[in-house]
Amino acid sequence: MAVIELEGLTKDYGEVVANDSLEFTVERGEIFGFLGPNGAGKTTTIRMLLGFISPTSGTARVLGEDVREERSLLEAKRRIGYLSDEPGFDEQQTGTDVLDLHASIKGDSRREELLELFDPPVERRIREYSQGNARKLGIVTAFMHDPDLVILDEPTNGLDPLMRQRFADFLRAERQRGVTVFFSSHNLSEVRRLCDRVGIIREGKLVTIEPVDALLRRSGKVIRIRSVDPIPIDALDLEGVHDLETSVSDGHEGTDPSTAFTECVFTFTGDINALLPRLADDELIDLAIEEAPLEDVFMRFYGGEDDV
Amino acid sequence: MFEITRYEGRNRLKGSVYLSIGMALLAALVIWVYPSFSDALGGDELLEAYPQEMLQLFRIETMASLEGFLAFELYTFGWIILLGLYVAYSAAGVIADDVDRGRMDTLLAMPISRARLVAEKFAALSVPILVVNLLTPPAILLGAWLIDEPLSIADVLAAHLLSVPYLFACAGIGLLCSVVFDRVGIAQRVALGVTFALFLVESLLVGTDYEELGAIAPMRYYDPNEILLEGSYDLVGVAVLVAMTVVLLGVSQLVFRRSDL
Repeated sequence: MAVIELEGLTKDYGEVVANDSLEFTVERGEIFGFLGPNGAGKTTTIRMLLGFISPTSGTARVLGEDVREERSLLEAKRRIGYLSDEPGFDEQQTGTDVLDLHASIKGDSRREELLELFDPPVERRIREYSQGNARKLGIVTAFMHDPDLVILDEPTNGLDPLMRQRFADFLRAERQRGVTVFFSSHNLSEVRRLCDRVGIIREGKLVTIEPVDALLRRSGKVIRIRSVDPIPIDALDLEGVHDLETSVSDGHEGTDPSTAFTECVFTFTGDINALLPRLADDELIDLAIEEAPLEDVFMRFYGGEDDV
Repeated sequence: MFEITRYEGRNRLKGSVYLSIGMALLAALVIWVYPSFSDALGGDELLEAYPQEMLQLFRIETMASLEGFLAFELYTFGWIILLGLYVAYSAAGVIADDVDRGRMDTLLAMPISRARLVAEKFAALSVPILVVNLLTPPAILLGAWLIDEPLSIADVLAAHLLSVPYLFACAGIGLLCSVVFDRVGIAQRVALGVTFALFLVESLLVGTDYEELGAIAPMRYYDPNEILLEGSYDLVGVAVLVAMTVVLLGVSQLVFRRSDL
């Protein structure tokens, strides 16, 4: 059964359509990344899924419950964890007070384990918390009642690299236990590290939805070659070579840089098995095949104008 | 049930004690000045010097007894005006403050309905309302005894007990503002303005053709003069105040259930 189903979910604010007929599903046990630049409508979707705002048309089901029906959505919420993009806690209270309140309403079977892992300073008052500490406390509140579905809005904002890593490991372990994770992000490296599938939203519309590895395949590889002797540029005349940049290093003054190179870099979306035989007779100093930055892919979707 | 009420009530406890101390000090001041006041004037001569509107506004009936003096200096000024405004202001923050500061999402992500959240947060206002009415009567009775002007214990207790539904009705006004306006500053200002305007309407329109307008003001249904001077308790007024509170709470729940946050 799908854990989240969007059925033409729309939020029309009049002057702007924040979500325009969104339609997709998230399956049980997957980590689904919801990607888009700031202002694309990610938070609007999440807030409709949790019933904070109501759709102007269409609907969505979360754990099988219609988000427009408060009563049935309440049942689902017992099994949902949520972390807001700016977790708001009562400034005057300590972390423990906040956790106690959450525990009294939804339970806290995993509280100790989570506190050990993420270690927010629970004895201090929230007003003394850094953004990172508030986020850590938010993670504990999102998972403390052992939910089946977790909805996270930009979950790693403000976390240091060590905590990001720990959080990523934690999410992967949760997925193993069958937990479904829906998280929004504009951070691409995070998405590729964690997600099984991604949906990309731009200006309220769903642009694409596909597995992360397919996205990475489409983005191709960045290939760097350094050779001892010049290689004719013709050797790279094959399908899938883009943005080729070549140069000739010192010591090969007789070489015409327009016909040969000793160093080059290009993006390659073709078959790697077609490329390597072309270099088989050349003595290489170095050959690097790296994944292209996802940014390149997103630039295509966003038309190269946004802040991803 | 009542997790939110317990949590918010606990958070309001300390402020409520400070509030009670403040009101007890006001009571002490009023009781302390009374003997010199009554010695110097010996009756209601001063009242004749006041314009009629002033007497009406502050519901001054007599200064010739401590009861009459307390009824306007303490209960009209302190309870009807100050505390009425205080609870309306506090209630105006109940929902709007959480919405304004981004805490509402975190609360509503938990399995708790909006109607219940409103009701539980409103119920937590009983902490200041009850604490101030529990802690101040002993101070007032003690003060009266010290200046040798003993008061009827039953009437003083009744003046406080009957102020409870009045204060809840004022809180209801604030609560409605809290769900209608999502900016806490606006909600609080409107709550203060509306509550004070109702007080003026009720007090100043008495005896005019527009007197009926005062019927919507909670102030009409709580009369400390009547309680302290005549020992009569307006139970119909209590019922009206309870009904007002219930309606304001119900409408607030309805508005909040339908609003986009």
